[in-house]
Amino acid sequence: MRDYWLSKMFFDLQQPALAAEFKASKDAVLSRYPLSPDVRKAIAENDAPFLAERTNAYLLRYYFFTIGMKDAEFIRRIRGG
Amino acid sequence: MASFAGAFASSHGPLLVREWESIPADQRQRLTHAFQELGRRVKAANPDVLVVVSPDHWSNFFLDNYPAVCIGIGETNEGPPEQWMKAFPSKELKGHAAFGSHLAKRALDEGFEPSLSHRLKLDHGSCIPLWRMELASMPALVPMLVNSIEPPMPSLARCLEWGRLLRKAIESFPGNLRVGVLATGGLSHSIGEKTMGAIHEDFDHQTIKLFSSSEESLLAFLNRELPSRGNGSEEVRNWLVAHAAAGGRGFELVDYLPVPAVIVGCGFASWRG
Repeated sequence: MRDYWLSKMFFDLQQPALAAEFKASKDAVLSRYPLSPDVRKAIAENDAPFLAERTNAYLLRYYFFTIGMKDAEFIRRIRGG
Repeated sequence: MASFAGAFASSHGPLLVREWESIPADQRQRLTHAFQELGRRVKAANPDVLVVVSPDHWSNFFLDNYPAVCIGIGETNEGPPEQWMKAFPSKELKGHAAFGSHLAKRALDEGFEPSLSHRLKLDHGSCIPLWRMELASMPALVPMLVNSIEPPMPSLARCLEWGRLLRKAIESFPGNLRVGVLATGGLSHSIGEKTMGAIHEDFDHQTIKLFSSSEESLLAFLNRELPSRGNGSEEVRNWLVAHAAAGGRGFELVDYLPVPAVIVGCGFASWRG
């Protein structure tokens, strides 16, 4: 399953300017994408397994890299730890 | 007519750049040597044009339109868009519009339907090997982006057919060119999924072994094993294109080493063709 807008946001966050804006004002960026409440909640909680069911694995990893999460922590989360 | 100059393959991975200093010294030395040896072989083959067969890591394409295969037919392509690749020496990379267009035309004539682009961003998948091979002068590059990132992907058998088509296109191009093929990606790795970090050495060794065997046994093995060997392993499609372009013979392993620090089973090879 692909959540188009979640994936689109992750794709767009590859742009450095948008990534910087996301770090400074996450809600402002999130508001531009029609994300469902459960997806917004998963983003707020860094719920990697939930997000993984809805987007491409490479985009997911890019996203967590963009927000500054180390790979070891990402791996712990994606495994449900 | 143009001639086939040789085929080459190299792994890539962001951590080969971002975490280079974290790689144990002995492995860093082997990786450096492998890249340089591959570069030496490319230089010895003296290609005027290098067809770079690589995935697109969401640099050009999105879910709106993700082609199975895209051929770059422009005069120029862009260097890597990733911020952590900013030390890559070229912002623009020379293409070869005439050969790219010939490849596209030949493909369409023979029942293949590639997407075409007059300007592509060549991300780390293409540019890490090109960079680390330390080529004194960069040949003109014709990108061939094969989807190994977002399912559904081209079948493995189709990738072999693409390789054979590529060889025909090279040998029917009406110009005095030497055209090489550089496949990038693989071997086993897993990105952004629960198995991230896993390297399947047994899979990698068997894959390497089967590149010197029959296409039937290579395909049978990969079709059976790929679904459980990590999503990054899907990039072996690019090696299949190179393999078939080389006529399915002449495979030579330059080096293979699993590198946990970059979470990739790193393989380097060439085909005499």
